[in-house]
Amino acid sequence: MKHSTMRLSTETMNLDFVKKVEALSGSSVRRCFQCGKCSAGCPMRSFMEHPPNRIVRFLQLGQYERVLAGRSIWYCASCETCTTRCPNKVDLAAIMDALRKCSWDAKGPSKESYVQLANRLFIDNIRTYGRQYEMRLAAVFNVKSGQFLKDLMLGPKLITRGKLKVFHQKNRNMAEIEQIFKRIEEMRKKGEAP
Amino acid sequence: MSRIGVFVCHCGENIARTVDVEKVAAEAARLPGVAYATDYKYMCSDPGQNLLKNAVAEHRLDGIVVAACSPRMHEKTFRNAAKSAGLNPFLCEMANIREHCSWVHEDRDEATAKASDIVAMMVARVKKDKRLVPITVPVTKRALVIGGGIAGIQAALDIADAGHQVVLVEREPSIGGHMAQLSETFPTLDCSQCIMTPKMVDAANHPNITLHTYSEIESVDGYIGNFQITVRKKARSVIEEKCTGCGVCSAKCPQKKIPNAFDKNLGTRPAIYVPFPQAVPNTPVIDRANCTWFKTGKCGVCQKVCGPGAIDYEQEDRLIVEPVGAIVVATGFELYSITEKPKGSPIKGYGEFGHGTIPDVIDGLTFERLASASGPTGGKILRPSDGREPKQVVFVQCVGSRAREKGISYCSKICCMYTAKHTMLYKHKVHDGQAYVFFMDARTPGKSYDEFWRRAIEEEEAVYIRGMVSRLYQKGDKIVVMGSDVHVGVQVEIEADLVVLATAVQPRAGADTLAQKLGISYDSYHFYSEAHAKLKPVECATAGIYLAGACQGPKDIPDTVSQASAAAAKVMTLFAKDELEREPIVAKVNEKNCVACLYCKKVCPYGAVEEKEIRDRQGNLIRVVAYVNPGVCGGCGTCQASCPSKSVELDGYTDEQIMAMIEAL
Repeated sequence: MKHSTMRLSTETMNLDFVKKVEALSGSSVRRCFQCGKCSAGCPMRSFMEHPPNRIVRFLQLGQYERVLAGRSIWYCASCETCTTRCPNKVDLAAIMDALRKCSWDAKGPSKESYVQLANRLFIDNIRTYGRQYEMRLAAVFNVKSGQFLKDLMLGPKLITRGKLKVFHQKNRNMAEIEQIFKRIEEMRKKGEAP
Repeated sequence: MSRIGVFVCHCGENIARTVDVEKVAAEAARLPGVAYATDYKYMCSDPGQNLLKNAVAEHRLDGIVVAACSPRMHEKTFRNAAKSAGLNPFLCEMANIREHCSWVHEDRDEATAKASDIVAMMVARVKKDKRLVPITVPVTKRALVIGGGIAGIQAALDIADAGHQVVLVEREPSIGGHMAQLSETFPTLDCSQCIMTPKMVDAANHPNITLHTYSEIESVDGYIGNFQITVRKKARSVIEEKCTGCGVCSAKCPQKKIPNAFDKNLGTRPAIYVPFPQAVPNTPVIDRANCTWFKTGKCGVCQKVCGPGAIDYEQEDRLIVEPVGAIVVATGFELYSITEKPKGSPIKGYGEFGHGTIPDVIDGLTFERLASASGPTGGKILRPSDGREPKQVVFVQCVGSRAREKGISYCSKICCMYTAKHTMLYKHKVHDGQAYVFFMDARTPGKSYDEFWRRAIEEEEAVYIRGMVSRLYQKGDKIVVMGSDVHVGVQVEIEADLVVLATAVQPRAGADTLAQKLGISYDSYHFYSEAHAKLKPVECATAGIYLAGACQGPKDIPDTVSQASAAAAKVMTLFAKDELEREPIVAKVNEKNCVACLYCKKVCPYGAVEEKEIRDRQGNLIRVVAYVNPGVCGGCGTCQASCPSKSVELDGYTDEQIMAMIEAL
C-alpha cells in the first residue's frame, strides 16, 4: 500500500475528505506549498513514518487512506510548533487533530492498533476519577490489550521518583466533571460537536 | 623629454592585498620620463580623480598611466578626468594590475614585480601616444525595427511618437507576433487580442511608421548612424494599394483545407488568406505552394471575383533600400518541439513523450489557440484527436527547458506562469474537469506572479505535483502519464484526456543568419547577446543596434514591452544629436606602402576596408590602395596583424608602441 503507485483521477482523489478536514480544522490544506518547515521543527518527526509535510501533501492529493493508515497522526504531540512556525498560516496542529477525529470515526486503519483502546480508556479514566490515575490506566490497558507485562519494569522507577501514584486521589468536583461529559454527549447527539 | 604621471591604485584591498603598491609607485618614479608617481586607496573616487587632475597641473604632466583595474572598467573615467585637467584624453592609459595581476597571483613579491613591469610597459606606450581627436559621423534619424511582435510594435510606436521615422519589417503577412495568438494573459487574465489589436492598428496608422509585412531583411550595410538596409518584400500576389480587404477572394477560394499555421494547424484556411481576422494589414496573401493557379495554371477565381482588381499573379519579390541610423532587433521566439531532431543536432526531442506522434499531446501555444475565442474551436477546449471535451488534463512544465540532456540548460521563464494561467482557463471553461501540473520548480518572480500561481492551486484547485514526467503513452483513447510526487516519494500515474507540454522558448529559426547579416553576436542557443549583462542589457556590442524582447532571451510580455521601450529610448538618445562622436581608435592605411593586396579587406570583420583609387590631376588612375572607413572601423586591429607590408596601423596601438612596450620589459 505504502509504496504502490498513486493513480490520480477525480475518483481516486477524495476531495470531500479534504473539505471535511478543512472544515474540522478551520485551516486550508491547499495553501501549503511544501516548504517543510513543519517537519524541520517537529520533535516527534523521528517517530513518524510520514513527516508532517508529507501528511499535508497526501491530503492535497486526496489520499486519505495513506494518511489514516499511518501512525504519524497519533505520534503528533500537539505541541503546535508547526502551527507557530508555518510561513503560510497552515494550522497543522488543528489538521492533525481533525485527522485523529476522522481516524477515530472511520471504520478503518486506526482500529488495527491499540490507539483507539488507549484513547477510550484514557477518557473513561478521567470520567471516573476526574483526573488522570496513571496506575489504573496502565493496568487496565495492559489487561485489555492482552500485553500483561508491557512496560512493567518502568513501574518501580516511576513510583520511586513520584511520577506514578499507587493510590489515587479523586477530583473534588466530580459532579461538574460528569456534567461536562454529559454536555458534550448531548452536543454530539445534536451534531453540534465533532 | 616627456613628463608622465603614474598613479597606482590600491582598489581597497583588491590590489594592495597581493601587490606592494607603494613599491610599484616608487619604482615607477625611477623610470625615465616619469615626472610624478604616487599611490592612492581608490583612484576612481572623487578625491582620487582630483589627485590626478591636480598632479597634471602641478607637475605639468603630458601623459598619464593609471595602474588600477581593466580599461573596460574605468578607462573612460580616467580619460574624462584627464580631459577636464586639460590633457588630450588619449594620452591617458590604464595599466591593468588588478585583473591581470593581483586577482590571479598569490605570491606578493612576484605579483609586485609583475605590476612594476606592466606599469613600465604602459609608460613606454604613453610616450608614443598621439593626441587623437574623436571622429564625428552624421546620423540618419530614421530607425529600422525588425520584427512586428509586441516588442517591435512597442519600440516602433515609441520611436515614432518621439517624431522620428520608423521602418517596421515583419516576416509574416500580418504584424502581431505571438501575442496575437494568445487567449488571455497573466497575471490579470485580460484578453490578449483586446490589448494587442489597438497597438497593431496604431502602428499601421502612425504617420511616422512605414510598415513592410511579408518582408525580410536581405542585407545590411553601413554603420551606426548610417545603415543601408535592403528589404525583400515577398510577392503577396495582391496589390496592397488596391485591396480593400473585403475578403471575397478568401470566401470564394476553392482551396479551403490548408492547415492554418496561425492556429497551430488545428484550423484550416484558403490559399488566399489573412492569417487571422484582426490581421494588420488586412490584406490577403496568396500561399503559392498551395494555390491551384500557381500549381496548375488553372482556377483564377480570386482574380475574377476581386472588384478592385487587386490580384496580381505576376507580382515578384521586390527589393527596397531603406537608409536608417539605428536598428532595433525584435525577432522573438519559437517553441521547442518534442519531435525527433535530425542526427547531429545539439537539441534533442522527447522519445519518451512520443516524439510528437500522440495527437492529444500538444504544446502551450496550441492550448492558447484552443482557449482563444477567435481560435479554431471558438474558445472551447476540445481534444485535437476526436473533438471531445477533456476531463483530465495534465500539464508538464520544463519540457526542453532545464534539460541539459535535451540540449537546453536555461529556464524558459514564462512557462510556470502560463501553465498556471492554462489551468485557470481550463477550469473556467470545463467546470468538472481536473487539471494536474507536473513541475520541477515554480518560478514566479514578478509583480503579482506568485499570488497568481497560488490562486491556481488554492482557488482554482489545480493539483500541482512536484516531479518530472518520465513517460507518456497512448492507452486506448487516454494518455497515460507516468510521474512521481517527490514530496511523498510515491509514483503517480494519471490517465489523461489531454496533455499540454510547456515547451522551451527558443530563438526563431534563422536567428543566426540574421545576426550574421547585422554583424551582432549570439550565444550557443542563437539568442542575441547584449553588450553587458547588467549595464547594457538592450545594446548590442555592435554600435547602433539594439535588442528588444525574446530574441535576447526568454521573456514575458511586461519584460518585453519594458525592453522595447528601453531600446526605443536608446535610439532616441542616439537621434538627439545630429552628429555622433566615436572613439578615434581606428586603423589607418599608409598609402605610400600599400600594395593593394586587400588582404585587410578579406579579414575585416566590420567590412570597413574599401578600395581607394589614387588619381593624378588629369584624372588618370595611378594606383589603387586600401582605405579604412573610420565610421565603420571597430578598432580590432586584425588588418594590422595581417598586413604583409605593414602599411596599416591602429591609432593608439601602433607597431612602434607595441615594440616600445616589449622593449620596456
